[in-house]
Amino acid sequence: MKGTSRVFTLSSCLLLSSSLINNAYADINFNGFASIVAGQTISSSDSLYGYDNNIDFKNDSLFALQASSDLENGLGVTAQIIARGSNDWDPKFEWAYVSYDANVHLRFLVGRQRAPFYMYSDFLDVSYAYPWITPPKGVYDLLFDSFDGLGVIYTHQLGEFDTTSHFIYGKNNTEVTALGETIKPDFKDLVGLSFSANREWLTLRAAYFQADMSMPFQFLQPLSEAWLQAGFNDISNDVVMKNDKGTFVELGLQIDYNNYIVNAEYTKLTLDHMPFGDNKSYYVMVGKRVDNLVFHITYGKDDDSKVDYTQSVPFGIAPSLDFLKATTQGVLASQKADEKYVTVGVRWDFHDSAALKFEYTDFSDSLNTNNDASLARVALVTVF
Amino acid sequence: MFNKHCLVFLGIILANVISLPTAKAEVAIVVNSANSSVLSDSDLARLFLGKLKSFPDGDKAEPINQKFGNDIRKEFEQKVLGKSASQVKAYWSKQVFSGKGQPPHEEASDKDILNKVANDKTAIGYVDSTSVDGSVKVVKKF
Repeated sequence: MKGTSRVFTLSSCLLLSSSLINNAYADINFNGFASIVAGQTISSSDSLYGYDNNIDFKNDSLFALQASSDLENGLGVTAQIIARGSNDWDPKFEWAYVSYDANVHLRFLVGRQRAPFYMYSDFLDVSYAYPWITPPKGVYDLLFDSFDGLGVIYTHQLGEFDTTSHFIYGKNNTEVTALGETIKPDFKDLVGLSFSANREWLTLRAAYFQADMSMPFQFLQPLSEAWLQAGFNDISNDVVMKNDKGTFVELGLQIDYNNYIVNAEYTKLTLDHMPFGDNKSYYVMVGKRVDNLVFHITYGKDDDSKVDYTQSVPFGIAPSLDFLKATTQGVLASQKADEKYVTVGVRWDFHDSAALKFEYTDFSDSLNTNNDASLARVALVTVF
Repeated sequence: MFNKHCLVFLGIILANVISLPTAKAEVAIVVNSANSSVLSDSDLARLFLGKLKSFPDGDKAEPINQKFGNDIRKEFEQKVLGKSASQVKAYWSKQVFSGKGQPPHEEASDKDILNKVANDKTAIGYVDSTSVDGSVKVVKKF
């Protein structure tokens, strides 16, 4: 309730200031986008990406409004509010920043903005901008997408290529719910660079990011303390996530040639000295545009692994140590994953500003076939 | 039963694919008569996609668009940008919602565009070539 009234006050301020500013400055742009997604798994015992066998309309549905204003002399302000069905339609600011264009090539952003982790990060929620209903969740699965801080975007023509370099520095400490606990993480000194080059039908992209990460999960505390008491400081530190450095690498490719589309992305997340899995993921999508239809098929793979850092402690020294080692190995083993998915879909641009999308995903988990699932989704997406 | 559904589906697809081409109009790219810029096809596309913000001589360029859904605009997007109307819309939705830019300003008619271009040295627009008058300079036709 408090959140709603705050947003209401803010939006009325925005509207009020827009009517005041309108006289002095010409441009306040209001834009928006929306996705209404319905989906359910095919068989009664399956669940996937938050869906189960009961039809759901909220999981991937969202409404967004953006207000931006050009304050002249290179200065601009932009705010984007998204209400997600998965979050009980509670509206949240995803972007809220002041931009400064130093010249036609160089732009600075300060405030809340999207971290350019992935090829589709900049317009992650704008389903109208890409063929799928949502980008492949196997790759697009970091815990956060936005950050607060500084962004520097440099666009430059390099031969026949239009290139964009995007540097960021900032932090994120938005509350998350993970592994059954709602906690306030601290991702600080988030720093990195993405680079993309586009020429006619070809786009290439590469990105590197790192952050100092802390996530105070309660359930790991006793394990950490027990290792400390047993005299293993390193392992004690490694079973919790506290000021540990995580790194992220992304490579991307887009081809749009003669109505054939190829999209591919590879990501590698490394979480050293943390009890969470290192992740390697990729997907390859091939599509064909036929008039106002896009047919597409995506194959993706998701591999999580974790080195057993209790290896140096042999079994059989003491029963209590054996128990600690076995418990820790259990935690580390639970971080392993070997998953594959195939998604086939159609996008139909039936209207000037809206598209209908149909998708079917077949998901399989090599480590636990109980997690295998098939999901059907249909979406109405629009921009306005 | 399955075959029947397949046939209906195929029918819908074919109906969409075999949309007969309509009579094509010629698109004239127009600039202010004081503008002596020489523009390549790629420059033109980049100007109207917001990737290029100035003429080759360094002067600021202000592209002016036809209204969305207008036939001459579809023609221009197909021939110069090499994209369909919905692809262009998807492109601009990427730019707008990532704060990278707003699409070009739109004018309601050929007359309004000619008027704007005739009076603004930075303006560049496109009209049906049969609408062109002496107030502007034609740099290219498609």
